[in-house]
Parts: sequence; structure tokens; C-alpha cells
Amino acid sequence: MNRQDLKTIIYAEKKKEETNKYKHKICVCCGAGCISSGSEEVMKKLQEEIKTRGLENEVEVIPTGCMGPCNQGPLMKFLPEYNIYQKVDCSNISAIVQSQLIEKKPIEDLLLFADSREKPFIDARDDPYFKKQLKIALKNCGHINPERIEDYLVHNGYLALDKVLFEMSPEEVIAEVKQSRIRGRGGAGYPAGLKWETVYKYVNDQKYVICNGDEGDPGAFMDRSVLEGNPHRVLEGMAIAGYAIGANKGYAYIRGEYPLAIKRFELAIKQAKKLGLLGNNILGTTFSFDVEVRIGAGAFVCGEETALIASIEGKRGTPRPRPPFPAESGLWGKPTLINNVETFAAISPIINNGGEWYSEIGTPKSAGTKVFALAGKINYAGLIEVPMGTTLREIVFDIGGGIQNGEDFKAAQTGGPSGGCIPAEHLDVKMDYESLVSLGSIMGSGGLIIMDKSSDMVDVARFFMEFCMDESCGKCVPCRVGTRMMHDLLQKICENKATQIDLDRLEELAVYVKETSLCGLGGSAPNPLLSTLRHFRQEYENRIVQHD
Amino acid sequence: MNTIPIIIDEKKLEVDPGKTILEVCRENEIEILTMCHLKGVLDIGACRLCLVEIEGINKLLSACTTKVAANMIIRTNTDRIKKYQRITTELFFAERNHVCAVCVANGKCELQDLGYKVGLDHIRYPHLFPQCEVDTSHPWYVMDHNRCIMCTRCVRVCNEVEGAHNWDVMNRGHQVRVISDFNSPWGESVTCTSCGKCLHACPTGAIWPKAIVQGQLQKNPGMINELVEKRKMKL
Ligand SMILES: Cc1cc2nc3c(=O)[nH]c(=O)nc-3n(C[C@H](O)[C@H](O)[C@H](O)COP(=O)(O)O)c2cc1C
Ligand code: SF4
Ligand code: SF4
Ligand code: SF4
Ligand code: FES
Ligand code: FES
Repeated sequence: MNRQDLKTIIYAEKKKEETNKYKHKICVCCGAGCISSGSEEVMKKLQEEIKTRGLENEVEVIPTGCMGPCNQGPLMKFLPEYNIYQKVDCSNISAIVQSQLIEKKPIEDLLLFADSREKPFIDARDDPYFKKQLKIALKNCGHINPERIEDYLVHNGYLALDKVLFEMSPEEVIAEVKQSRIRGRGGAGYPAGLKWETVYKYVNDQKYVICNGDEGDPGAFMDRSVLEGNPHRVLEGMAIAGYAIGANKGYAYIRGEYPLAIKRFELAIKQAKKLGLLGNNILGTTFSFDVEVRIGAGAFVCGEETALIASIEGKRGTPRPRPPFPAESGLWGKPTLINNVETFAAISPIINNGGEWYSEIGTPKSAGTKVFALAGKINYAGLIEVPMGTTLREIVFDIGGGIQNGEDFKAAQTGGPSGGCIPAEHLDVKMDYESLVSLGSIMGSGGLIIMDKSSDMVDVARFFMEFCMDESCGKCVPCRVGTRMMHDLLQKICENKATQIDLDRLEELAVYVKETSLCGLGGSAPNPLLSTLRHFRQEYENRIVQHD
Repeated sequence: MNTIPIIIDEKKLEVDPGKTILEVCRENEIEILTMCHLKGVLDIGACRLCLVEIEGINKLLSACTTKVAANMIIRTNTDRIKKYQRITTELFFAERNHVCAVCVANGKCELQDLGYKVGLDHIRYPHLFPQCEVDTSHPWYVMDHNRCIMCTRCVRVCNEVEGAHNWDVMNRGHQVRVISDFNSPWGESVTCTSCGKCLHACPTGAIWPKAIVQGQLQKNPGMINELVEKRKMKL
């Protein structure tokens, strides 16, 4: 396929959409959350219902990726009205179809948040849950069928790839990404443009692009949702990166616990290849780029870039000291660009709308939007995307609908096992890289666990320490033995058996492990402990036995 | 060859680029404590004993894996580094079962030496006392996991120098163990050539020959590098 063919397909698909072959479109959320609450059944039942009513030619039913409020699922969205139904039960489907499609009015009691708001919003876009959000990485998630490349093409899919191949030099692509000021979304927040430029500058006839989809943080599902909801977006981002840095081969490392993400991503690769959007001579140009999926075996440490690279090479997945960084010597010793799924998902909008557009969203030092996986004692748990700098209060109360059972907010845990806790007095903290670090936490990859007074902060620290202890690769001493020692000491405090000396040792060990560990796993393993000590020291001290 | 200027512990030096900080320190008689480093095999930066402070870099870097760069200002003996060396040593001793008095390596052990060097008089952390196996299945050698500190010098020597790759590592975290082949008794190994290099590479009393009495262990870790250097020579 060449450039003209791509335009022709997009045009034809758009025309189809515009001429409204179907009067209605019903999106059934088939994200992981909704599937677990039974959306596949709903989908089947809905299709039967449409058929028995003879509406197949008027109504299109499509499965989509995650729409956001996962704990309200299964979700069903009627377009163009934007009426979203929550907790859809197979027994209600007939009534909903009757009311929506025949009587042309929604059943208000069954709409999204109808059971928790005074009055639900008829057009879901008016709901503060969606109004406060800005979806860039997740833009098409929940709107398109992730298993059809045509759905992506209609939404300007692969136009950014087309643009860079025909209108931009690799240097210009890098300049655009730099101008966007986007920082890596995998945790550390390293400026993506700078990384691209570094890899670009290393001269080598073989370079690689790696997409990090290992996502091992407990409770995180941002990358999973992107991969499941819009795999082509990630693929397009990788291809653009390949063009920019001069690589012809990419690997997507996806954790084995995500079979649906793997299936959809592999399908996406196949479809893109068939249309000549991937493979040899993309769109008739001299640029060739191929992508292969590698499946992770569920070790948290394999998300660390050097361990991930070792794992792709078929070795034991343990980190190695940096420098040299992968940009210089990565996969099989070649210059390698490694970015997170969400980072790649933001690339095509940056190319289409310009780096400047992206850089103006968010805060000066943290540009753009961030996807969070909201979990814990929050009313509307699920997947959200907000501009950087949105306050924690807005996320918890305006979007998340507040704390369950009207309890008080106690703390938010960000960054999972590498992060920390933010107490209630800092509810107005802006969610951006610097602000979170100044409070002793980190942005991390986007896990956001909300806690009420039932959470015991020492136990929270113990839980994450246990996770790090189990997930330590065991290569370096501080992390291998240090996390075990810290875990045992935390356990002792939880059992009310520890003394002040134990607490002092714990604190000394925490700083030691943080400063001496080989990789970021050990380097950040003490964070949950240190941050709970900082904000909730009293809870530790209350448990210390006074006599020796 | 062009040299580059660096400063280590206030000492101004002109050194060859391409060398590691550890190599430069050893050449200039600046003491760096090491355990996983073994001349002749690749460095992995695992024990973290050789960490140094470098001006302008906010992380401590391992001297064995970090190359010198022009105008580096390096510190090897600050209070912080000394404190961390001590903690690392304590953790080594607390991790498995080290009873020097009854150990074959008593008096010939790099870990014991390290303990003396950092002035360890007691260990402030509880001993973990894991249940570790003693593998006596090999006709000539014993592998005692109670004394192993997971430096993986044996693994690297066997793979890189002997080319047999009998040893490897299994499990994660504090559960890691050195294994023979796919975790079978050493005596049943199909890859081990019984060359004994791992025995010499091992810094502790974890690998030892059966034909010795307690305290009589003779190890020659320097032999590994001699071998490597001899092989490089033209015949
Ligand atoms: C223990 C550990 C686990 C990590 N896990 C992930 C992960 O699951 N996904 C990810 O993208 N990055 C992970 N990272 C960060 C990667 O090492 C790397 O920085 C990142 O993939 C770079 O992409 P970015 O710049 O787009 O964020 C992890 C780092 C550490 C230390
Ligand atoms: S810090 Fe932990 S995970 Fe990282 S290399 Fe050391 S032992 Fe392995
Ligand atoms: S291996 Fe070394 S430190 Fe351990 S018991 Fe034997 S002599 Fe002591
Ligand atoms: S057996 Fe000896 S050389 Fe091998 S890892 Fe253990 S301590 Fe190191
Ligand atoms: S999975 Fe359906 S809303 Fe998230
Ligand atoms: S000798 Fe450098 S880390 Fe072990």
C-alpha cells in the first residue's frame, strides 16, 4: 500500500461513518474490568436482542476497550446520544433497547452513576467524571473496536506515521517530541525527546525500539488498558520512534498475565502488516520496521529496562549496572530506545497536533496528561486520564466520587511499591512529577490507591516491603538481604514486639538500601516505608514497646 | 596513549581512559573493598562493597563497573561509604550460616577478612538461619550453601573461563541459590568438567575439596586471571 491508498481507505471509512449506514452505535465495554463483571454475556444478549427486533441494519454493536469507571461495569454506551448504562444486567437489555431505540428516551435509573448521584447525567460527557478528564493516550479507548484497524484509521490512525514518513526528517520528529516536553510514563519521568535524541546520535547500522508493557506494579492496569483498548496507537508510536532513531526492529514486551493485550497487539501487528503500515517499505517508502511481541513471565524486576533487555535476549532477567545505558548499549549490545506503553501512545497525537500543543497541557515541568488506575476505598474506581497538575482532591472527589460509605480520606498511595503515601493535609497537591517527589512519593507509572481510616499505615508499608522482598532479583546484597531484614522488622512492629532500637535500625537500613542497591527496585523499595514514617510516624511509635 | 586527569581521595592522577575506577585504584594502592569482583571474569556490580562517591553524580556507583572519565572527582573513604561497607558485611554474615570456628575456610576466607577490615565486632541484625543444603555428591568437591554469599564468581568462572556453564542461579530475592545444571546434585552434572576453577574462585568456604581438613583450605583466586592472561598469549 502506498500513501494514496491509505488516504483512500481512510476516506472511504470516514464516508461510511458519515453517511451513517447505521443510525445507532452501541459500544459494549470489553475491557478487563467489564469482562470480569460479565460484559461478554451482555454483548451476546444485546446482539440477539437487536437481531430479534430486526434492527441489524440500523444498529451497530461493537466491543470496545475500557471506558473508565470499571467498578460500575458492565458498561454500555449508546451513540450518538452518549447515554451510558452501568451495571448492565442481561435481564434489562430488552427494556433498555426498547426505551433507547424505539421510544427514543433513556431509562434514567439505569444510567451511569444513577444509584450514587442525585440525578444522573443524560449525556455522560456532562458528568464531572468525564468533564474533569482529558483523554489523549486513551482517546479512542472505549470508542473503537480494538480488533479492527479500520476503526483506528477512521480516527486518523496512522496519519502521524504518514506525516513523519513524507513530511518530516528524523531530526524534525525528535524536535517535535522534545518540544512536547513529554516525559516517560513508565515511572522515572525521563524526558522522552532527549532519550530519542541520544539513541539517534549513536551511529550503528542496527538499533532497536522496545515498548515496555511489563506493568508489574500490584493493582496497576494503565498499560494493559491501552494495549487492549487501542493497540494500533502504541504500534504507530513505536514505528514513528523507529523512523526517528533509525531502527528497523521493535519489540513489545508484554507481561504474560495479559493474554488479551497480547492477542490484540499481535492481531494489530498482523493487520498493520497486511496494509503495509508495518514491515518492509512502509507506505512505499524506504523505511522498514517490524515489531515482535515478547511475553514476560511475571517478574516485577523484568520491567526494569536492563533486566527486560536481558530477558528478551533469553537470559535470566536481572538488572545490570548503568552506565552504559541502553541508549548506548542495549539489546544485544546495540543502541536501544526503551519507552513505556503510555509514552508511545502519546506520540501520534503529538505529531498530529504539534509538540507545542502537548506542551501547553499540564504544568511547565510535567507536560501533558497522565493515566491513573484509581483503586481502593474510592467510589468510582477505574481508569482515568487527567492533565498533569490536576489536584489529588479533584481526582478523589470530583472524578472519583469521594470515599466509599462517606468515610474520611486518610491517604493516597502513588507509585505502588516504589512510591509513597500522601496524607489528607496534602490533598491539594498537584499531581505532577516534582510535587509528588517533594512529598516523599513519586508519580510512578500511575497506580493510585485511596485509603480511609481503616488502613493501617505500618501494615501498608509492610505489604509493599513484602512485595519488594519477594520480587527482588537477589543479585545485589542491599536489596536481597536488606528488604528481608526490613520486612522482618516491619512485621515485628506490626506484632507490637519491636523496640525503639528496632525502629532506628529500620530507618538506617532504609536509607542504606535506597542508596546502595544496584537497580531501581531496591533503590525505591524503602519509599513506602520512608514516606509513611514521614507522614504517619505516630502510628509506628504507638506500637513500639517501651521497655527493652 | 593519552591519559586523563582524575582525582581520587584528593590525590591527583593521570590515568588511562577505558579503565574502571577499581583498576585505577588498585594500580595506585588506593584500597577498595570488593567481593563479587574477580580479576579474569566480567564484573557485575552485585556486592555493592566497592561503591564510591563521584562529584556531580547523585548516586553511588560501583567502582568495579564504572569507567573513569576525565576530571572525575572520586571519594572512596567517606564516613557514609565506610558505614555502608559495614552494613553490607553485616548482612553477608546474617544472611546464611557462618560459623567460622568449624568452617574449612577459617583463616583463609575473604568474607572473614572483610569482617576484620571493616572492624566488625558484632552483627546488629538477626541471623536468618536459612535451611541450606550441603551437596557432597561430587566425587572430589563439596558445595556448602550455608557459606555461599551469592557473589556468583563460581558461575562466571565456570561459564566464561572453563566454558562449561555448570553453575547458574535459581529463584529470586533471599531465596536465590547457586545450582548445578538444572538444579540437580553436582555429582550428576553432565556439564561439570571437575576442573576445580570454581573452588579457587569462591571467596568463602562454600566450595571446597573433600581431601582437606578444617582450616587447611588452600585457594588461589589469582590463578583465574593468570589463566586468562596466558590464554591471550600467542603460542
Ligand atoms: C523494578 C522496576 C520495574 C519497572 N517496571 C516498569 C514497567 O512495568 N513498565 C515500564 O514502562 N517501566 C518500568 N520500569 C522503568 C523502566 O526501567 C524504564 O525506565 C522505562 O520503561 C522507560 O520508559 P519511559 O521513559 O517511557 O518511562 C521499571 C523500573 C524498575 C526499576
Ligand atoms: S536492587 Fe534488587 S532487583 Fe535490583 S539488582 Fe539488586 S537485588 Fe536485583
Ligand atoms: S565461609 Fe568464611 S565467614 Fe563463612 S563461616 Fe567460613 S570462614 Fe567464616
Ligand atoms: S559458591 Fe562461592 S563463588 Fe559461588 S556464589 Fe557462592 S560464595 Fe560465590
Ligand atoms: S473495563 Fe469497562 S470501564 Fe474499565
Ligand atoms: S566488587 Fe564491585 S560490586 Fe562487588
